[in-house]
Amino acid sequence: MRQGSPTVSFLSLFIISFFVGTELLADTSYQALLADEENGADWLSYSGGYRSHRFSPLNQVTPENVNQLKVLWAYQMQPTGINGAGLQETTPLVADDIMYLTESPSSVTALDARTGRMLWHFVPDISNEVLNIGFPRINRGVALVDGSVYVATLDGRLFALDAGTGAVRWQTRVADNAVGFSLTLAPLALDGKIIVGVSGAEAGVRGFVDAYDANSGNRLWRTFTVPAPGEPGSETWQGDAWQTGGGSTWLTGSFDPELDLLYWTTGNPAPDWNGDLRPGDNLFTCSVLALNPDTGELRWHFQYTPHDTHDWDANQIPVLVDGEFNGQQRRLLALANRNAFYYLLDRETGEFLLGEEYSYQTWAERIGDDGRPIVLANTDPTREGNVVWPSLQGATNWFSPSYNPRTEQFFVSNRRMGAMYFKADVDYEPGTPFLGGGEQAFDGDNASGAIVALDVMSGARQWEFELQTPPWSGVMATGGGLVFGSSNEGNFFALDARDGQALWNFNTGAHIRTNPMGFAVDGKQRIAILGGQTLFVFGLE
Amino acid sequence: MLTELLPGAVLRRLLQGCLPALLCLAIPPSTAQDLDNGEQLFRTLCARCHGILGEGGEGPSLKRARLDHAPDDETLLSVISAGIPGTGMPGARQLSGGDARDVAAYVRSLGQLPEEPVPGDALAGQQIYETIGNCASCHIANGVGTGIGPELTDVGLRRNAAYLRQSVLSPDADQPRVVDRFRGTLNAFLTVRIVTERGAYEGMRINEDAFSVQMRDITGRIYSFEKADLISYEKAFGHSFMPGYSAALNEQQTDDLVSYLMSLKGENR
Ligand code: HEC
Ligand code: HEC
Repeated sequence: MRQGSPTVSFLSLFIISFFVGTELLADTSYQALLADEENGADWLSYSGGYRSHRFSPLNQVTPENVNQLKVLWAYQMQPTGINGAGLQETTPLVADDIMYLTESPSSVTALDARTGRMLWHFVPDISNEVLNIGFPRINRGVALVDGSVYVATLDGRLFALDAGTGAVRWQTRVADNAVGFSLTLAPLALDGKIIVGVSGAEAGVRGFVDAYDANSGNRLWRTFTVPAPGEPGSETWQGDAWQTGGGSTWLTGSFDPELDLLYWTTGNPAPDWNGDLRPGDNLFTCSVLALNPDTGELRWHFQYTPHDTHDWDANQIPVLVDGEFNGQQRRLLALANRNAFYYLLDRETGEFLLGEEYSYQTWAERIGDDGRPIVLANTDPTREGNVVWPSLQGATNWFSPSYNPRTEQFFVSNRRMGAMYFKADVDYEPGTPFLGGGEQAFDGDNASGAIVALDVMSGARQWEFELQTPPWSGVMATGGGLVFGSSNEGNFFALDARDGQALWNFNTGAHIRTNPMGFAVDGKQRIAILGGQTLFVFGLE
Repeated sequence: MLTELLPGAVLRRLLQGCLPALLCLAIPPSTAQDLDNGEQLFRTLCARCHGILGEGGEGPSLKRARLDHAPDDETLLSVISAGIPGTGMPGARQLSGGDARDVAAYVRSLGQLPEEPVPGDALAGQQIYETIGNCASCHIANGVGTGIGPELTDVGLRRNAAYLRQSVLSPDADQPRVVDRFRGTLNAFLTVRIVTERGAYEGMRINEDAFSVQMRDITGRIYSFEKADLISYEKAFGHSFMPGYSAALNEQQTDDLVSYLMSLKGENR
């Protein structure tokens, strides 16, 4: 968006160029997406760049002045009248002074990033009867490329909208909601392609990753995460279990343009807690997949939790890191898993390099040298109930970690909670929950949370900042040496990246279930967070 | 993934699937097997608060023909899966449609059991409450009293007799909890001891986050502390500000008092 006043506009371009380097025009081309990480003014994709660092390079807000942050504007979301809607998990994107965010269950809003005034609002026609089996009626955000905004909807569709007006360019059905498929993730835009994944393992779906042509909406490829008989990996299933095997793909992945590899994570096998119904390792559930973005072909995989029986999806953000590991320069994939271990893989080959406990757990002795957990006896769910840490919500979950490449620190929001897991019988019935048990999680003062800083190469803990309850919100590190995080209690806060000291906090007045993001308006640093139904944008002035 | 909530939508679908058949109930007639499944799930998920036989405890007895929060089958299913916001009833969001119905059927079957008789005389109990007990100095019931401890106006709906007996005789044993679906569960009335440069404070926690603690002292005064300013902060689990009445009351008086508390069913609300 351009401003009204030409003088201010000139100033804005001048200052933005200071952040962008040579690039003057903030655009939404694939080239701009490639440069997203260095471009502090915009935030063009869910994780702030293909490597998913969720790092804002802006450095105007520092440990010295962060206590002067103030709310510059707020935006209150629109009630939809849809039952059960209202939990907000979106990460806003910002391109050229326009902010794009989603509202539960699947609406899209464009705001003037300078003032918070609404520019357009798109509400897809979602029925009150839409199924959302295993998760709330939420959406995590849009993708943006070449002047279009892409939103994946709770009822299983993908829309392309004109970024200027919100008008629909095309829509296509990705999957059938009637059998339990939903789309909640922010799609990932590549060069002319939109990648999406599905939710639905709690309904016994067979998961997949899809690519669509960004212009036409035609499907380019589909890769199933659970192999059919005869396909590689099918030896890890028995009988027909693969047909309802789960392995959903409900969180945005990462992309390495140089290796031309797409990294996508997969969720739990189905049914969740009764592993007797699906003997074997259940590939490719609870894994990360490296895919050829042009064909969807699987290059390599790594399974974090073989034959999972605790609902520990690996749907966490795969963070792409380059650096020296054990004296060797390597391209790595770092992931803090729901199962309480922090992993490093070689992202060219999938080779396992490191698996370190980052949160209290009682299910594995350690991760073996081959990357396979050495599972302790009697940690499966039982009919009477069996206490295991972490709880099914995991030591972390979908909310994003952050990586500061300058200090090689990996920050993660950590849930510290155990649970009593139990197992039950279950029959598959399309479009109904297919769980085979449940949990009773610890609560009150028996559970807590933290923001944890890890050395990215060793997983060694540098510091932690304690939270009252296990969080549902992500973190963002900044070029100014800060880490922004939030709590269920509604605090939005800034920590000193060096030692985890809290330097500033603001009570948003409602639970926070989103990730922070950063951008700039007129060259001035902005930080955004959603608390409850309200988006707050902070800045120094 | 089950990030947490199990949806009203599933329940609604189950309900609506029934619409064409006039006689179709939200909780269809259950087989012995359904009831067994319901009982098994109840023991795992509900018994720690409602008792292994549904007799109650921290939660009310469910051996009652009429449940105030669940007058019909639809509300019962919703209470079971979504809980009762703002109270200590968390709900079991992980229950699948069929399992939720089995638990509901089991809860209804408990309602057909005879209610447990509450020994004692409620009128005599009211006397004790107002005189020897001096309970109103710390509790508000039906609008009367001072609010240091929890309001007792509907305590007879929230707890069972055995739990109330224990609350009166040994208050240290348990403290009420408040469940907030999004902000997390808080042990309310937890005794906290706080030292700052300005002095030492003792009271009951009202709320807490990573940066601050809110506390009420025994005089009812409310404090707010920044954690960064605290010299020390102790959470005294297992301590209550309520005196134990085991020495002050004999067996008969205790029965009477519990009987009075059980009669407090929030009619004034
Ligand atoms: C952590 C303790 C706890 C657990 C676990 C729990 N409940 Fe409750 N429940 C309560 C409390 C406390 C109340 C009373 C809430 C109020 O009215 O303040 C309650 C209320 C209820 C009511 C409403 C009763 C009425 O009189 O209207 C029903 C029905 C119920 N629970 C069923 C269940 C079932 C079924 C389960 C298991 C799936 C369960 N509860 C698990 C604590 C619990
Ligand atoms: C000095 C203040 C004080 C006095 C006097 C007092 N209470 Fe309490 N009471 C409290 C506090 C504080 C709590 C909450 C902490 C706890 O449960 O221990 C409480 C809790 C309770 C509870 C539990 C309520 C619930 O929701 O779980 C009951 C029942 C109760 N009191 C009854 C009585 C009765 C009956 C008397 C008189 C015989 C009495 N109290 C006298 C302070 C007091």
